[in-house]
Parts: sequence; structure tokens; C-alpha cells
Amino acid sequence: MSSVFSPRTVVQAIEDAAKSTQTGYRFIGEEGGAEPFFSHAGIERASARFGGALQSLGLQKGDRVALILPDNADFVFAFLGALRAGVIPVPIYPPTGLGKLAGYLDNTLHIVERSGAKVLVTSAEIRRLLGTVQSRAPELEKVADVETLKALREELKPVQVGLDDICFLQFTSGSTSRPKGVVLTHANIAENVHVIMDLGLKAQSFDNGVSWLPLYHDMGLIGFVLAPLFHVNSITFLPPLLFLKRPARWLEQMSRQKATISFGPNFAYALCNKRIKDSELEGLDLSSWRVAGCGAEPIRAENLRAFAERFGRVGFSEKAFVACYGMAESTLAVSFSPVGKGLLVDQVDGQALWSAGKAEPVGEGAERAAPVVGCGPAFDRHDIGVFAESDAESLTPLGERTVGELRLRGPSVMRGYWNDAELTREAFAGGWLKTGDIGYIAEGNVYICGRSKEVIIVNGRNYYPQDLEWEASRVEGVRKGNVIAFGTMKPTHDRERVIIALETSVPEGEGRETLKGDVRKAVQQALGLTVDDVVPVDAGVLPKTSSGKLQRAKTRELYENGDLLARTSIRRSDKVEVVKEVVKSQIGYFRHAILGGRKDQP
Amino acid sequence: MTWTRERVREEVIQILKPHVQADTALSETSHLVADLGIDSLGVMEVVADLEDKFKLHIPDDALREVDTVGDVAKAITTRLQNEGRLAE
Repeated sequence: MSSVFSPRTVVQAIEDAAKSTQTGYRFIGEEGGAEPFFSHAGIERASARFGGALQSLGLQKGDRVALILPDNADFVFAFLGALRAGVIPVPIYPPTGLGKLAGYLDNTLHIVERSGAKVLVTSAEIRRLLGTVQSRAPELEKVADVETLKALREELKPVQVGLDDICFLQFTSGSTSRPKGVVLTHANIAENVHVIMDLGLKAQSFDNGVSWLPLYHDMGLIGFVLAPLFHVNSITFLPPLLFLKRPARWLEQMSRQKATISFGPNFAYALCNKRIKDSELEGLDLSSWRVAGCGAEPIRAENLRAFAERFGRVGFSEKAFVACYGMAESTLAVSFSPVGKGLLVDQVDGQALWSAGKAEPVGEGAERAAPVVGCGPAFDRHDIGVFAESDAESLTPLGERTVGELRLRGPSVMRGYWNDAELTREAFAGGWLKTGDIGYIAEGNVYICGRSKEVIIVNGRNYYPQDLEWEASRVEGVRKGNVIAFGTMKPTHDRERVIIALETSVPEGEGRETLKGDVRKAVQQALGLTVDDVVPVDAGVLPKTSSGKLQRAKTRELYENGDLLARTSIRRSDKVEVVKEVVKSQIGYFRHAILGGRKDQP
Repeated sequence: MTWTRERVREEVIQILKPHVQADTALSETSHLVADLGIDSLGVMEVVADLEDKFKLHIPDDALREVDTVGDVAKAITTRLQNEGRLAE
């Protein structure tokens, strides 16, 4: 391991790694298929060919190319090929099917338009599904078939790529109306790979990884495609859907490759607990697994402990768990808990945490004890600060164990959002990136308690409440603009429960039951997630601020302590109040429809 | 073993049942996502169960053509038929 860090571009890293013919990428296909292995020398050649093919389409340095490629190998080589041609790749997730195509097309079109991509590379099958996207995105000149590009034998024409050049655009799953393109430079990548591999994981040449993570997501792409190129480690990729279908395949590959590093969100470990049968444990050996990273969604210590207990008998060590905090706006990694130490759990007074914003330590098993998992300290040359959300210039850092918004500074932080000065300005406060996450720092370690952005995370995917609310609002009988969607972990579940509270003039009884079904159906159909509960209430019952803004956190609190159901018609007698609330909420609806809402499907 | 369309339909409903809230009616026209509330993770679990039950491989691409319980049954019978394991 080098003691002095000297940043390199990804292009340089690909060329440097090409000396190795022993290490590389292995791609596992769907069940029973081939398992091609590309050495680092082979990766260099395959990416050069892809770069040449992209150049032959007329793409030049700085142009954007959108990639919708469900096959891992296709995606990797198209992505790396674009980098070598100086072209900026824009990864877009492939359609998952199951009746959400309209929403998918809408989102894809937004990303293609916003990135200004000249070419979109995809498979023949997805190309058919995309239909008219090309005619609807004026800057998109061509939709290219990946098979055709692979068959081309074009020489890569050398392009100068520097550390300050843009490496790629990472579109985050923002509210559907405005997907945000995080701009990452080669310097961002080099810095973040350095903190991940050298400082965080203390990676060695013997390390090798297994990943089923989607490659259009930062954890899969930067953590398992790019970082191992810089460090010349081998990686085995599994298709994400194969993992979701047969979670045992993940552990089988860990065992077979004697892999030392793998990552997954909390739900992945819970899924293994739930779905892997005892018979599937036979012959597994997980004793080489030294880093089991957990990130991308709230970490629940009991899920991970259950995993360690279950798979301990095939050699898994609880000490392998590394709790990670990260986000696309900071390239990928923000902080890791120390390797080899296992989970760091802070037991704090749950009531003081939420009501007073203080993380007061209590003994484990104390009545109000709430476990919060620690994600380690900030990396060298990077800062994590805690500020009041109202502190617009980040002037007054909050003290030890005081809960506030986490903000970041350092060389991994993005420049901004692609072509969106306004969003970029809103993302920073006095030079610090506002994460939207709520947490505290104790003895140098960062603890995440929740999110101020109110994102609902189910199985590692982010859902914006505004999107759920918009879909519910369109259902006949729902008072427009009077819908609040939120996630709750109460009562304890291994995933967030999705709740939709709404106001209606439909009287209590059968009509409301029908309405509940209609809302559930509309939201599930549009967004493809399970709605756990729909709570219809009378007009004026949902809590609003004096300016008519719906209070989501307050509604969640009322729901969790049971008061929301008790209040379903509490204000029935107070007609004046109700009229005032109605007026306020209509304003809120129009604001959402005009400024923040999603467009209707054309 | 040889399957009939009727038995495939019954078996599909049995496999879906644990994924659906107790009071939800399951019929051939039920939409997996909209009516039954099965999310992308649940769908993959269902696919694994179907593959085990019918000793079939269901490729990921096939999922894009599936919306309803009836579509699931059809996807299964088509594959069984291709393998000569469906009694007409």
C-alpha cells in the first residue's frame, strides 16, 4: 500500500491496472449461464474497443451518453469505454417491468433531456420499450443497440483526460419531477476511492470482492467497478435480480471466491435471514469475509446481529460488519466504522433524542433506550459538521451529542448538480454540503438518526412522499393537496412501513373502505411499492402550518402514538377552523401542482 | 410430472397467498402490483417459488410481460407446454 496518495484519473487507473492478467472482473449471469472472466489486461482492451465504438458514433470529449444496460458486463465496458473516450456517461436504471412503464419512461425522458445526452446505448429489447423517447428528447441524436456497438472493431483515438474533467453524471432518484444529476470529476473519484480503499477498508492486494449491487447506483458503480481498478483487486458481479430471487447465490459466491469484501443495504442482510434455507448453508465457508459493509439505508443492529448469529456457523464473523454513511453528492463514502471491530452501537434515551434533540447515553435495556449505529469518524481532509437546519451559512456548529443536520466538506464533495445553478445553490450552506440527514457526533463518530428530507426508503430504494401524495391526490374522493405520505419503523419491522393519510369528504363507512382500496391501488400501480396503511380522515384534521403547509413529521408522530385515528373527525364541530384549513390547503395544492409537482403523463 | 391449466392456476394462487394481505381477494384479473401490493422484492420471491414448484427457469425479461395473476399462470403454462409437460 502506498503511503503517499497521488490522485489518478480513472482512465490512468485502467491503463496502469492492465499489467495484471491474474486479477479482474468475473460476471455471473442468470442461473446456469456462462461466467466470463476479464483480466485487468482484458478490461483495458474491451474498454478501448467500446470507447472507439462510441467515437465512431460521433461522440466527442465532454458529450454525454446515456446508458440503460441491464447486463453487468455490457454496462461496465460501455461505462469504462466512454471514460476512455472522454465522453461523460449517464447511467439510468433499466425498467423492472410490472406495470410501471409509464412512470419509468417519464423519469428516463427527464434524465435524458436534462443531461443533454446525444446518444443512448441500450439493448434491443429495452429499445423497443422506450418507443418514442428519441422523438421527445430534442438533443438525443441516436439510440444505439449495444450488440451492434460490441461488434464494431474501432480503434480508440487517444483523448487527454485530466483530474478536473467530469467523469460521469450520477442521477439520484429525486422526486420524479426533477431528477438531479450529481457532477463528479475524476478528482472526486480518485479522492473517494482513496478514502474507501486506503483509509476505510485498508485494502490489500489479496482482497477480492463480490457484488450484486446495481451498477447504476453509487455503491455498486464506484465501490465495486471503479475502486478495484485503482487497487487492482478482483471482483465477482452477480445480477441484482438474481440476488433478489435467490439470496443464497450471494453467499455461495463469497464462499467460492474466498471473497474478503462485500457490501449491501440493511435489507440485503435481512433478506438472507428470511429467505436462505438451512439446506443452502451446506458447504458454505464465509470465514474469509473480513468486511461486510452496510449502508444506503438506515442500519438496524438487530437485523445484522441476526445475520451474524445465523451465518456464524459457516464462518461469518460479526466483527466483519462495517457501518457506512454515504451519498452520491459526496461521490460515495462519507464515513465507515473501523474495520474489524464490528458494530458500534450507542444506546441513547429515545425520548430525549426526538423531543429535545439530545443523544443522552442510557444503559442497554433501559426503558427508553434507542440503539443508534455509529458510522465512524470523518475521513482525513474531509469534515462532517452538525448544524441547525436554520443555520443558512453553517456558522454555529452544534455541540457533542446534539442532534442537527449533518453537513459535509472536502475533496469528495460534488461540484454541484448538472446544469442546475438553483438546485446547486440550495444544496450548500456556507461552503458545506447539506445532506438532509439528521444525526449527531459523539467522540468523533457520526450517528445517523433520520432524514429531514422525509425520503421513504424501502428495500434500498428511495421514494419521495411528494410522488406518493401526488398519485393519491388524483383519486376521486381525495381532497386535492390534503394527502400526507410517510414511512414509519413503528411498530418494529425490518423495513419501513408506508402510510398514506388523506382528507376526504366521503363519510365514514363503506365508502371510505372503497376509497382506501382505490388509493392503495393507484399508488402501488404508479410507484411499485407496497402501501401498508391508508388512513382517511375528515377535512381539516391533518396538521398544517400557519401557511398551509402539511406537517409530515407531525402527522407521523400522531400516527405512531395512535392519535391520528382518534382525530379522524375531531374538528367536525369547528366549521370556521375547517374552512380556514380548506383554504390554506388549496393554496398548498396549487403550489405543488405549479412549482413542485410532477407533470401529468402526456 | 404433467400439469393441467387448472392445476397451474390453483398452484399460482397458493404461491401468491402468503404475499397478500389476508382480506385481499385473489382472482385471475388481480394486478400483482396495484391490487395485491406485491413490490419488486416480493415479485422476485414469488418467481423463486414458482421456479421451484414448476421446475422451470423464468428469465428476468419475462417479467416485463406480466401484470396480473392470469399473466403469471399463462407464462408458466406456455413454458410447460414448450417442454411438453402440459396436458391439454
